[in-house]
Amino acid sequence: MNTGTMKKAAILLSTALLACVMAGCSGNNGNNEPAASSGGSPAAVATSGPVETLTVEVFDRGIQGQPDLNNNTWTNYVNEKFGKPNNAIVKYVSVPRSQEVDKLNVLMAANEAPDISFTYDGTTVTRFAKTNGLYTLDELIEKHGQQLKSYLGDTVLDYGKYEGKQVSIPAKRTLLAWNGLFIRKDWLDKLGLPVPTNKDELYDTLVAFRDKNPGNVNGVIPWATAASGLNYTFGNLVPSFWGPMSEEEFVTTTNWLKPGNKDAYKWLNKLYSEKLISPDFALDKTAKQADADVTNGKVGFYGANWDYPMVQKIREPLKQNAPDANYVPIDAFKNANGKYIKETYNENGLFSFIPKSSKHAELAMKYLNWMADPEVLFFLQFGEEGVNHTMVDGIPQGIAQTGENMQMSNLNLDYTLVVNGAELGDTEKNVKTYAAALATGDKAYEKLAVDSYKINTTDGFTAFYYGVPNEASIKYGKTLGDMNKQMMDRLIVAKPAEFDALYDKLVKEYMDAGGKVVQDENIEHYKIKESSK
Amino acid sequence: MKAVLEQDYASKKKKNKFLHNIKRDKWLFALLLLPLAYILIFRYAPIYGVVMAFQDYNIFAGIKRSEWVGMDVFQFIFQQDSFYRALKNTLLLNVYDLIAGFPAPIILAILLNEVRAAKFKKITQTVLYLPHFLSWVIIGGMVYLMFSNSGMVNTFLANLGLAKIEFLSQKVPWLMTYISVGVWQQIGWGTIIYLAAMTGINKELYEASDIDGCSRLRKVWHITLPGIKSTINILLILQIGRMVSIGFDRPFVMGNSLVSDYSDVISTFVYRVGISSGDFSQATAVGLFQSVVGLILLIGANYIAKKLGEDGIW
Repeated sequence: MNTGTMKKAAILLSTALLACVMAGCSGNNGNNEPAASSGGSPAAVATSGPVETLTVEVFDRGIQGQPDLNNNTWTNYVNEKFGKPNNAIVKYVSVPRSQEVDKLNVLMAANEAPDISFTYDGTTVTRFAKTNGLYTLDELIEKHGQQLKSYLGDTVLDYGKYEGKQVSIPAKRTLLAWNGLFIRKDWLDKLGLPVPTNKDELYDTLVAFRDKNPGNVNGVIPWATAASGLNYTFGNLVPSFWGPMSEEEFVTTTNWLKPGNKDAYKWLNKLYSEKLISPDFALDKTAKQADADVTNGKVGFYGANWDYPMVQKIREPLKQNAPDANYVPIDAFKNANGKYIKETYNENGLFSFIPKSSKHAELAMKYLNWMADPEVLFFLQFGEEGVNHTMVDGIPQGIAQTGENMQMSNLNLDYTLVVNGAELGDTEKNVKTYAAALATGDKAYEKLAVDSYKINTTDGFTAFYYGVPNEASIKYGKTLGDMNKQMMDRLIVAKPAEFDALYDKLVKEYMDAGGKVVQDENIEHYKIKESSK
Repeated sequence: MKAVLEQDYASKKKKNKFLHNIKRDKWLFALLLLPLAYILIFRYAPIYGVVMAFQDYNIFAGIKRSEWVGMDVFQFIFQQDSFYRALKNTLLLNVYDLIAGFPAPIILAILLNEVRAAKFKKITQTVLYLPHFLSWVIIGGMVYLMFSNSGMVNTFLANLGLAKIEFLSQKVPWLMTYISVGVWQQIGWGTIIYLAAMTGINKELYEASDIDGCSRLRKVWHITLPGIKSTINILLILQIGRMVSIGFDRPFVMGNSLVSDYSDVISTFVYRVGISSGDFSQATAVGLFQSVVGLILLIGANYIAKKLGEDGIW
């Protein structure tokens, strides 16, 4: 958590109205300027004119030892290869990762958002588009974005449309797996147990972990997790409990009301009360405790992003603290039909957009277009051969870096706004490359990555794309999202005797607080979309 | 002729009195300018922003061009259960804070006042002030380490063979933790004003009571407490005026999803709808509501205090 910004937010709020008001006045000033024609800024970029400054958002992930986010190998490359020919300077504006939407809201309201801003939250983009705060990009793309257009393709670009107009540029996601489940293979071997393939086997395994403590550690945690909404998840446990339902129900019904959903939480509740799940998980609001438990070798099983074991902050300390630990990806939640259904990502990643307040829309589009050049992408993702990577069998193997050359996000995710995941044009290659980059060449992780990717894209389903924004969701989305997290935590920790009553009470509250309205609108949109097929 | 002149002079003198005062104390007035400017710019000027509460505020259109919606925003807020929950929790936590937190610095100040060894008194005071300078984020971390289920206190209890207490995840223990951590943080700082008030008590009163053979407790009861009574009064009125407002950091840091039914307060509510969901109209409306209720409480408390024959704040 970023103390600085939190404090700032607190100050803003304690003076109650101040922040909003300041936003109000600068909002006026900005919009009085006539430059907001949607065709791009009127001043054409001339190579001989004054130097233009293009501001671009970047996440500050607070990585230990990170270089200046505005002055490192990557930003220098951008300024050299893009800035100079276009007579421009590209400046990066950092936004704390954990509060990206909050900060973006404030920046947008103050008309100070970077020329290229982005977010992972589609609802936020829709809200900005709806209040007429974004450039429509169709003309700009036609004029300056042909390379970008052909790289992303129509499917991806469609995710960035609002009322038929292009308002944002979605990144192309090359790897679609989302969550994964990982178990200590060395513990299983020690106890002579097979890899669990369904809930019951998993349950027995967890009980064995708890009772026999195969790692001989102080305070064994069979199943580690943290407060909901962070890196740790329950994988596809909940979908595996869902009963049969129609396509429409599957798409539109709130998860809380889907048949079998209650049983899923009841099962987790039972596990928690039998001390199979991290005792303080709901208090672990930053996932720091869960990370510590995993890397100290106390944990038998956990669910997180499909690539989580490869991430440096997990991989390195684990190797030091528990060299024998060997986590393998598994598929443990089989549903009644024998399938391991799980949600995977849609083909889009983050959304980049150009705020109306920007005076460099044309240059911004040129920047995004330039970034879609394979050569540029390759450099930004993998750096220079011999320095940042070595080529082995056509797969660039990352070399761990510090200082200037360090990458603050996986494959410079935060600097390459048009792509999410390794981009070598082929999924198998992309997975291997991704693993090699994350694990800086450790071959053991290549297998883990390939296995995990395969498992976690099997029987996958994606979120239904309605093509139109859900108005109710814009209004209630954040409240409902917060409620979701609280409900999960509370249901799992509840006393087993009180579970049923609590579930019904919480779901009723959820539906009353906007869940019902959102669902009704979804049904309506679904019907329209289906009938127009 | 002379009389007329004198009269004329007198009225002129009256007129000029104000100017004369300013001239005489010009440096004092100059000193006042800065705080005055601060209050005007940062407290009064932003007030015009409350109109956002009556608009469907669009951050890109600004106040001038946003659409007016009358009381719609308020209606929407008053329909939401989570708003009432936040309001209830704010009042509840503040009442508990008042009950536990208000007398604490008074008692501590009296204790400190009775300490004879000056050096010991100074050191104690400094140590007691320190928590005030810690950020709530840090205190939150400390609380987690000490009071979570696998924290220091519970490990200690478990080693003694006692049952664990879920300090941070059950209603009553959480409330106790929340309140006592608050008292711990603020108690030292709160004593400053009372100690200052105590130095203003006439020393002769104590000497006289010494001669009359008063015990220490009697002196506290009959001299010290009445001496700081008006200070207590004013602070109490101010505290009641702040009943509906609550700091952001403390409930945000100390709260968690398991106790959200008690830890979600107005400030966290405003943070969620205003900053996180970008609904500035709603956030402003809640802020306005909060201010109005706060004003009513303040006036009410002041009125009652005056009726009881005490000094109010105006």
